[in-house]
Amino acid sequence: MIEVKDIKKKFGRKKVLNGVSFTANKGEITCLIGINGVGKTTILNAIMALTPLNKGEILINGEKINKHSFEKVTFIPDAITMLPQMTIADAMQFMQDFYEGWNQERATELLGFFKLEETEKIASLSKGNAAKINLLLGLALDVDFLLMDEPFSGIDIFSREQIAEVFTSHLVEGRGVIITTHEVHDIEHLIDKVVLLDNGVVLKEFNSEEVRENEGKSVVDVMREVYHK
Amino acid sequence: MNRYLKLVNFELGRFIKVYLVLIAITIIVQVTGIIVKANDYLAQADKAIYEELMPQSQFIEQYGQMSFLNFARSLWFMGPIALCAAALAFYIFLIWYRDWFGKNTFIYRLLMIPTARINVFFAKATSIFLMVLGLVSVQLILLPLESTILKWVVPTDFRVDLALSEIIKFDYLTILVPQSFIEFILYYGAGFIVVSVLFTAILFERSYKWKGILMGIGYTLLSIVIFAMPVLLMIVFNQDYLYPLEMLAVETFLGIVVLAASIWISDFLLKKKVTV
Amino acid sequence: MQIDLNNRDPVYIQVIRYFKEQIATGMFEPGQEIPSRRELANRIKINPNTAQRAYKEMEEQGLIYTERNLPSRITKDEQILGAVREELIVEAVESFVTSIRSINVPVEEVLDLVQKKYEKESNE
Repeated sequence: MIEVKDIKKKFGRKKVLNGVSFTANKGEITCLIGINGVGKTTILNAIMALTPLNKGEILINGEKINKHSFEKVTFIPDAITMLPQMTIADAMQFMQDFYEGWNQERATELLGFFKLEETEKIASLSKGNAAKINLLLGLALDVDFLLMDEPFSGIDIFSREQIAEVFTSHLVEGRGVIITTHEVHDIEHLIDKVVLLDNGVVLKEFNSEEVRENEGKSVVDVMREVYHK
Repeated sequence: MNRYLKLVNFELGRFIKVYLVLIAITIIVQVTGIIVKANDYLAQADKAIYEELMPQSQFIEQYGQMSFLNFARSLWFMGPIALCAAALAFYIFLIWYRDWFGKNTFIYRLLMIPTARINVFFAKATSIFLMVLGLVSVQLILLPLESTILKWVVPTDFRVDLALSEIIKFDYLTILVPQSFIEFILYYGAGFIVVSVLFTAILFERSYKWKGILMGIGYTLLSIVIFAMPVLLMIVFNQDYLYPLEMLAVETFLGIVVLAASIWISDFLLKKKVTV
Repeated sequence: MQIDLNNRDPVYIQVIRYFKEQIATGMFEPGQEIPSRRELANRIKINPNTAQRAYKEMEEQGLIYTERNLPSRITKDEQILGAVREELIVEAVESFVTSIRSINVPVEEVLDLVQKKYEKESNE
């Protein structure tokens, strides 16, 4: 379980996160929703200790983040972070060199699934293909949690479909996923839990299937209520 | 440890192309230089002896014999060394900033490696250190080679032969090529401390942005003051408190203090304060 | 397998309904093997936990059964299969009646129209 407890973060005078709390469970897909600039990315960065917080704490399986955490939780940022001059094979080698949990078999499988060649250079990948490699480098790690920042934004529809397919496959089976998006429509049926953010706070945290069952509302219905009241 | 070594290997790999170009420039310029310098000298001698009909002995008396030092004091020799030094000095900064401001933000990857983040710091420092050693080695191999070329081009009567051990005593070369193991430790240890202090300053900037620049500069100045303290005190009180050996011991101790502080602060910044 | 999911009804209920329709129309035969939970989730792009829930519910209702580690199958129980068909017919008629009642049409006229429409569509 990832527990985010009352975290606060200021950029200059601007309070980007003003006491955000939520939990994300293993085996569930948790979706952080909010318009751009509400600090979704900052939350993911904070979970990975990639940006300091002004207040609050984050626990991963009950522990504060430490060097071992990076074998348990991995972050897939919204743009590929491997060096442009590397080939896909180099990038995979880098992961294999540094992570015990790198699963080469799964990486090869994903490469086939995405129909990409190892010899391609990172710099020459299209936006959609770069997003897929970015995803591959995270998915091929045997981790408990995957954090994905806007995996669907700015890429073509076919890449989007392929990436969506990953969510229902054995590749994320049993793992916890935290995904940020400003556009929930594509993945409405894929997610377990929704965390609605605005102005640095959590407006509502709910289970999407429960809301459909108990209130007869779609995720978008709830968003409409919460954001336009 | 294992991941540290892989990181060193990785960091070296990222600079290898530029590094090889630096080595190539050094070789080409210096070898060309020694030939040009020797020919200049011979042309001068030719002119004096055959055109102005000056006796050979008078020419040598007037202009001196050609020695390696004629070449070593020229831009042909010092230029490439200065270029390499400047490139590596620049790379002390680039080795960090390229990870944030390069085309893809590679610092994410480095900070998420399942190892203590200070290893990234050590790997980068080690790479710089190894690259300096590498360039000095290349220079050491080049010196006898250049000496030999000189012997081929300039006839015996016109030249003074210097042994390698004499050449490396030539002013700044004594620092690049220490004469003893102790000197090696002192010079390169000091170099390593300077790199660590600059790295710490860079990490201050990367952690606190504008405020961090001031903190970085402040930290660098503080380090200099600490290191120079014994000398400063002696100047202020105009008195020699310490024997040279004692001075060396105190400076070594202060150097270790500054190094330890840099590592400790960098570790803290990388763990708690740095931002992608 | 093609399900048009809406966003407001619980997904697991929509899945169960889909299975019932397939059973009632004979697309799923008694004893037929059905996709695994994960396959289903993957094919219709729903959350695997939801697929799991739909299967669990269907098992409790006796619509499907699972023997040890084998794939799940459609039930062979005639009584349950019959009830499914009946349930769907009754549901459809109920919603038809509700909407027709709101326009206030005599039942004879409606039945006549229904019959004509049915025959016409069968001839097409």
